Amino acid sequence: MKRRLMLILIAAAALLQADPPTFVSLGGASPLVTLRLVVRTGSASDPKGKEGLAALTAAMLAQGGTRQLTYDQVVEALYPMAVQVGYQVDKEMTTFSADTHVDNLEAFYGIFKSMLLDPGWRENDLKRLKDQTINEIRVSLRANNDEELGKEVLYNLLYEAHPYGPLTLGSASTVGSIGLGDLRQFWRTNYTQGNITVGLAGAYPATFPARIRRDLAVLAPGKRATPVRPAPPALHGWNLHIVDKRTRSVAYSIGFPIEVKRGHADYLALLVAQSFLGPHRSSAGVLFQNLREKRGLNYGDYAYIEYFPHGMFQFEPDPNLARVQQIFQLWIRPVEVPTAHFALRLAFHELDRFIQNGLTPAQFEQTRNFVTKNVNLLTKTKRAELGYAIDSLFYGIPNYGRYVVDGLRKLTVDDVNRAIKKHLQMRNVQVVAISPNGEELKTKLLANEPSPMTYTAEKPKELLEEDKQVDSRKLPFKAEKTKLTPADRLFE
Amino acid sequence: MIKRMLLAVSLTGLLAAAAPPKQKAFPYTYDQHDLNNGLRLITVPTSFPNVVALYIVVQVGSRNEVEPGKTGFAHFFEHMMFRGTKAYPPEKFQDTLQQAGAANNAFTSDDLTAYHTTFSKQDLEVMLRMEADRFQNLEYALPAFQTEALAVLGEYNKNSAAPELRIDEVLAETAFKKHTYSHTTLGYLADIKDMPNQYAYSKEFFNRFYRPEYTTIVVVGDVQIEPVRTLVKKYWSGWKRGAYQSIIPVEPPQESPRAAHIEWPTPTLPYSVMAFRVPAYTDTEKDSAALDLIAALGFSRNSPLYKTLVLDKQQVDSLQASYSNHVDPYLFTIVSRVKKNEDLPAVEEAVLSTLANFKDSPVAAERLNRVRRNLRYTMARGLDNSEAIASTVAQAVALRRTPETLNRIAEMYESLTPQDLLEVARRYFMENNRTIVTLTGAPK
Repeated sequence: MKRRLMLILIAAAALLQADPPTFVSLGGASPLVTLRLVVRTGSASDPKGKEGLAALTAAMLAQGGTRQLTYDQVVEALYPMAVQVGYQVDKEMTTFSADTHVDNLEAFYGIFKSMLLDPGWRENDLKRLKDQTINEIRVSLRANNDEELGKEVLYNLLYEAHPYGPLTLGSASTVGSIGLGDLRQFWRTNYTQGNITVGLAGAYPATFPARIRRDLAVLAPGKRATPVRPAPPALHGWNLHIVDKRTRSVAYSIGFPIEVKRGHADYLALLVAQSFLGPHRSSAGVLFQNLREKRGLNYGDYAYIEYFPHGMFQFEPDPNLARVQQIFQLWIRPVEVPTAHFALRLAFHELDRFIQNGLTPAQFEQTRNFVTKNVNLLTKTKRAELGYAIDSLFYGIPNYGRYVVDGLRKLTVDDVNRAIKKHLQMRNVQVVAISPNGEELKTKLLANEPSPMTYTAEKPKELLEEDKQVDSRKLPFKAEKTKLTPADRLFE
Repeated sequence: MIKRMLLAVSLTGLLAAAAPPKQKAFPYTYDQHDLNNGLRLITVPTSFPNVVALYIVVQVGSRNEVEPGKTGFAHFFEHMMFRGTKAYPPEKFQDTLQQAGAANNAFTSDDLTAYHTTFSKQDLEVMLRMEADRFQNLEYALPAFQTEALAVLGEYNKNSAAPELRIDEVLAETAFKKHTYSHTTLGYLADIKDMPNQYAYSKEFFNRFYRPEYTTIVVVGDVQIEPVRTLVKKYWSGWKRGAYQSIIPVEPPQESPRAAHIEWPTPTLPYSVMAFRVPAYTDTEKDSAALDLIAALGFSRNSPLYKTLVLDKQQVDSLQASYSNHVDPYLFTIVSRVKKNEDLPAVEEAVLSTLANFKDSPVAAERLNRVRRNLRYTMARGLDNSEAIASTVAQAVALRRTPETLNRIAEMYESLTPQDLLEVARRYFMENNRTIVTLTGAPK
């Protein structure tokens, strides 16, 4: 009797501290209903030695069947509705998303609910999804995508021994070690009611949110995670990591941690700075103009203040990759081997000049105007609108569009230039190069000999003058802070 | 318990399937208007607020690259279209896009080149004026041309890390011997490297293809039909017609099966790609629609083959098939990414056996209906914002210059019978019509 009372008291105490699921409802008249369920958990919660657990758990829910239906039965049931449950895992967030015609909402939701709340946990599915994950690491990322590989290695190095360090997918060996028990445990502990945010848009019935809320009650109660992460390890000096692989050209990712994220007083100032330097896939940025348009060094060059994976396949960032810490990053798309040294020098030359000079008032006005209008395009789909709204809850800011537009109105060129000087620097940086004949590139970069450019095309005198400054620019790499790794050793 | 659950699911499925489609596959009212010079304007007002998506589709692609040494030129020329005019030098072009907060890019495929911009509705006139200027008055000097050729090489480089580009190249040159589909849109590396020397040819290229009769303007979003017509007439009606007609070599019938193998220099998963020569896109004959349905029935995520190879035996980690709409006869392609080299023959056998089934016996009507439903909803789901609608219309425009294409093919899906599929399968899935390309990686 006493024990039972105690249990009730403990349960009551837990309930008092528990948060309910959060709802973001956009409504609307569209017959397409968009459902986006975000769990505040991700790979930062992976136990040591089980890196990849958050990602594999989400994969098992989205592509592993329910207790009632095997995965092929789930696919069979969803197929005529043309619905697929998408999932995405990052450090702090796990997202499940689907769009369905309102005709099919009832049938779809019944299955979706079971996928997340009553999973099948079958060995055969786990085996398939582990294979799939390991192939994504070894083949899709490491063997076939030099650009994404460079970006992920950069994060890996900047967050060494930090929860943000390991690849979200894990490594081949840690994924291999994950069992059904690990998945169940992760799901029970992290998929709590408090950690769930449900986003809804479209012409769903008025009673739908309440119904979802009732269904989510089968999950354990819990407080909403408000992650506090240790500071990233201090970065000292110039660090170079060359990944050696058989490939045609050299891909660079360059960066360092920054304290700025959405909600930070300098976020909008850095957003403008990023946009001037090189907005993703736009041809207007300084980097794109000077590396590609004027010199033809590669296909494009961009700057980032937030995590933006899969950038080679898309123009807009995906929402729900919110993190409590971000890095500043330059992405230099693959350059030909003979111009690889010069291209790196030019990237730093541009960054240096940018930090020194900042923006002129006219450049500021133009960039601010661009960002103010362009932000509307980021939320052109209901999927994105919901995603951004959920991210805004995470960061504790108003609706992202409003936050940007209102904040930019008050922003001055001095704010931007001050923020650039405060947060961007070239004293402590990490450079990652994915390169053929890595030893050769290493020798070249450490020797710091001039790397003069030659052009087939006629170039203006000013450009050739500038090249002379660039081609002998010292990049202060040191042998003791330089590493060379064969690609096939990464993420094993 | 399992049975009851399944019954519930399938009943719901049947009820929804029984509901007749109330509207056309492309449900938007649109205006299709031809200017005297041959330029076509398609305007699609939507209820999505503020945003306008502008697609300018030129019916030129790598298909039109008939001269030797000029592969990849349509794509290269797409790059050159960003190199400015007298009125809008590149800096001013970029500034104008910046002022509009616009997202702007372009792409090229076998049959089309499309330039697309998404922006707020108040900037429509600025955008139409600026685009009209570059389509009529493009002007670039030799240095800009030579520099841009290097950016194209950069594009080749960034794509070359993945084996898919090489597979596309080998499949194209193995399956086609005369037709220009024998090379990829990106072009051969040797031709890309020679691009800086093709300045004079680039002028000729512009002169041939960047003409109103090859071009369709698609405006989708928060707009009204009349004002769009007025603006397009104002800025585009002075554009002069051209006279060039592409003569594309006809591919002779294939007489025996073909095969090629690629040894990829680094470790990767093996691929098996099987392709059959099939007819050009049609929405008046049954072939295209039937091949779309066969691709879904035989190889999509709910197909028996997917269940066997991907879910049960787990020999394959990705299985896809497509009939890709093309202006001229092209390929029906099945791509399997296999987990182990030694499973390649078994996977090939399983794919062949699936195709044989389509030739031997008609598919169940119920399965056919499920696929039709999937295609209907896939189409509806894909039209959920102005940019997506414009992009869908652009693809249709490349084939038949009208969004009506989308309705016609959808109606064809509805009209086909299991017997139709059987006949189409028998017509095209023949050994003499087949090309197989395999790829294996270096040992770890």
